[in-house]
Amino acid sequence: MSEQNRPAQRAVPEQLERVLATEVSLRSRLGHVAVGLAGGCGAALITVLWVTEPNPLPTRTQAVFVGLIAIGLAWAVFAGWVLSRRRPLFARDRVLSARIALAATVVTAAGGVALAAARGGTADLVATAAGGVVFTAAAMLALVRARRRRRELLRLRDALRQDAP
Amino acid sequence: MGNEGLLVVRCQLGEREAFRELVAIWHTPLWRYVRGMVGSQHLADDLAQEAWVAVVRGLPRLRQPERFAPWLYTIARRTVTDHLRQAYRAPETAMEETTTVVADDELSSVLTTMQIEAGLAALPPLEREVLILFHLEDLPLATCAEVLGVQTGTVKSRLHRARRMLRNHLAEKGYEA
Repeated sequence: MSEQNRPAQRAVPEQLERVLATEVSLRSRLGHVAVGLAGGCGAALITVLWVTEPNPLPTRTQAVFVGLIAIGLAWAVFAGWVLSRRRPLFARDRVLSARIALAATVVTAAGGVALAAARGGTADLVATAAGGVVFTAAAMLALVRARRRRRELLRLRDALRQDAP
Repeated sequence: MGNEGLLVVRCQLGEREAFRELVAIWHTPLWRYVRGMVGSQHLADDLAQEAWVAVVRGLPRLRQPERFAPWLYTIARRTVTDHLRQAYRAPETAMEETTTVVADDELSSVLTTMQIEAGLAALPPLEREVLILFHLEDLPLATCAEVLGVQTGTVKSRLHRARRMLRNHLAEKGYEA
């Protein structure tokens, strides 16, 4: 079809603009990152508390701990699902989220190690430190990959800007 | 890749203002394709919105920004196919929706476009979509093949058949073919 046959550009409906504004919302993404990290880190700290408990806990307390850990993990899984399916992170969002995740894992690992040192034995301390190192390393890896992806896109954007008339 | 590629890269970076520009550029072609396939303006609005949501959700994973156009049409096609599949499961409502002939087209369109668009409703979905993609959306043969998931030769033969069917239909209606 020739250009003169093409009808005028159709205005984007307001409702579509509203829906897309919600879809690309940074606040929503960061909210889910925060919820997921809070759930996961909370579950990790409760686990350390439980493991380093010097005396056997009453059954009811154990049930409460299990419930709290399950709730924390459920929030982490839910946030992961939302961030992978419903609100995927764009390059800049990924860098920001990875920084937040790194800060959260460092604080949680330090808190866990302090708890283990104060309450548990050497084995507890080593296990907690190892877990902290693994999660911190994972967060660092996520940050490195996010920054690499953002750099690639920035280079591509600049190259395209130079090519543009 | 051009300005549209640049826009896609800016969206992938997370520049929120770029999304508005991307939608402003591509909404009309997307909507026209969807409306051509389903025939109803209101239904096209809903399905175009559904397609856009899928586009925004899939955009961070698009590895080749220069392939945005075929990728966009592939998503739109999937949205339309899903709708038609559901519609065929509920034939009563489906027939009502899919056979609604568009009466509220832009008046600025010239007769040839109107003739083609009016004739499209009479064609089967496969022939209708290849005509829309190639003639109304101006996509190259290779891009049509990518969107439809078939070989270029298949697109050509489908186009040939679709043109013949449309010509016959328009001739029956009294238009000069």
